[in-house]
Amino acid sequence: MTVAERVKNVVARQLKVKLEDIKPESDFVKDLGADSMASIELVAAFEAEFDIEMDEDAALSVKTVGKAGEFIQHIVDQQQ
Amino acid sequence: MKVIIFEDQKYDNLYPLTYLRPVFELKCGHTNLRMKIQRLLGNASYYFFMREYLAPVFGKILGSDKVNQLAALKNDDLLLINGRLLAIDFKITTDGPEEAAFCDDQLVYARLKKSSIAKMNFTNLDEFLDGIQSLLPRKNINATLIDYPWNLIQNNGKAIIDDFNHLADKGIHGELSPQAAIVGDKNLVHLAPGAIVRPFVTLDTTNGPILLEKNVTIHPYSHIEGPHALGEKSQVFGGNIREGSAIGPVCRIRGEIEESIIHGYSNKHHDGFLGHAYLGEWVNLGAFTTNSDLKNDYTSVQLYVKGELVDSQDLKVGSFIGDHTKTSIGTLMTTGSIVGIMSNVIFAGSLISKFVPSFCWFINNHATKGFGYRHMVETAAKAMARRKVQLTPEDEAMLKTVFEMTKEERSFWIKKGFQS
Repeated sequence: MTVAERVKNVVARQLKVKLEDIKPESDFVKDLGADSMASIELVAAFEAEFDIEMDEDAALSVKTVGKAGEFIQHIVDQQQ
Repeated sequence: MKVIIFEDQKYDNLYPLTYLRPVFELKCGHTNLRMKIQRLLGNASYYFFMREYLAPVFGKILGSDKVNQLAALKNDDLLLINGRLLAIDFKITTDGPEEAAFCDDQLVYARLKKSSIAKMNFTNLDEFLDGIQSLLPRKNINATLIDYPWNLIQNNGKAIIDDFNHLADKGIHGELSPQAAIVGDKNLVHLAPGAIVRPFVTLDTTNGPILLEKNVTIHPYSHIEGPHALGEKSQVFGGNIREGSAIGPVCRIRGEIEESIIHGYSNKHHDGFLGHAYLGEWVNLGAFTTNSDLKNDYTSVQLYVKGELVDSQDLKVGSFIGDHTKTSIGTLMTTGSIVGIMSNVIFAGSLISKFVPSFCWFINNHATKGFGYRHMVETAAKAMARRKVQLTPEDEAMLKTVFEMTKEERSFWIKKGFQS
């Protein structure tokens, strides 16, 4: 499974949305309903899924699912 | 003769309460363990040994020339005292023979002469303590050493009574409303100058004394049962403060509290039950935060100590909450829960789990990093500024050290909570 696919799975599980409703351009807050608490949990879930450490400010500034995939791919490449 | 109060290696049994203070700064009763030792020994030349990262902060309180000074161990007769000693009903003098006194194989105190020290080689306190144990005659004694956090609660009532008995000028010096009632012996109430007890307050000394420090205010519809001690500038805004609680200074209190210890600048400003619990400094409990202190099957309570569950052998044990931690409205804490320092516990409809790591936001019963370390420190600084206290660079360095120390534990709990 690619990083992008795993990101979508985590988003679906954490935000309780259907996989088919998650697009690369989906905005976590506007389209998927993530409030600040859900965003914090999403960051923790990504860290657990990919066994990585993310800077909180940088991670929480990512707005869309597609950008999250790119951001995480970059960290995975750096840390593994 | 110098008196040395030291931390031994058991300080980590008392986490999270000892992340930001030496063991002897733990409150038990109205005063802390150090104050009781100093009260017992009176005027003497005191020195203190603690973990190195605590020294910059506590050097400011105790005197930087008095903290972790290896030179203090040389060229004088010494009395060394374990900082975990609860110096109540305990006899010790600076004068006496050379000896090392043990309780359950733990060093309680050691008295030795300058001439003996001259024969020793050491480069730190641990080497010094090892050296004196083989050098001095050994003696077994009975003493109370604080081994675990719940020991502080178990001894709190008698510690309050002891503190009350040592007060020099007991009596009603503050303002006691004629519409307030004292149930029991009036002589067991100490109302310090500047303290105010408003109408419709009951002070019940049937089971022990009540010590209300300078400039406290007890607002109407508060019922306080002794033994009880309330530190300076604290306020009680109503509720049922049952026996065995020591609170303050500068705390705001309401609701039901039983057999609990609350360090300075912490708030439990709303309704909710707190029983057999221990709160560090700068803790804030949201409205209706409640902890359990008794299991429904009446079995003894187990708590996490250094990652392992330890049986307290006690049926009544509440929550132990580290400094600067905050709970949201309606937080429900299970029996014998341990909550780290600098965390934010957010209620999610069920009891929070038995262990919450330090420096985390606990959401939906999972640990997360929240908005990160910097945001947590900024929040602590804001909370302190509201009481006109500054978070100093030394405080920040101490917090950063503990943040790094607890990183692995935090990562473990975060990953555990989010494993798919």
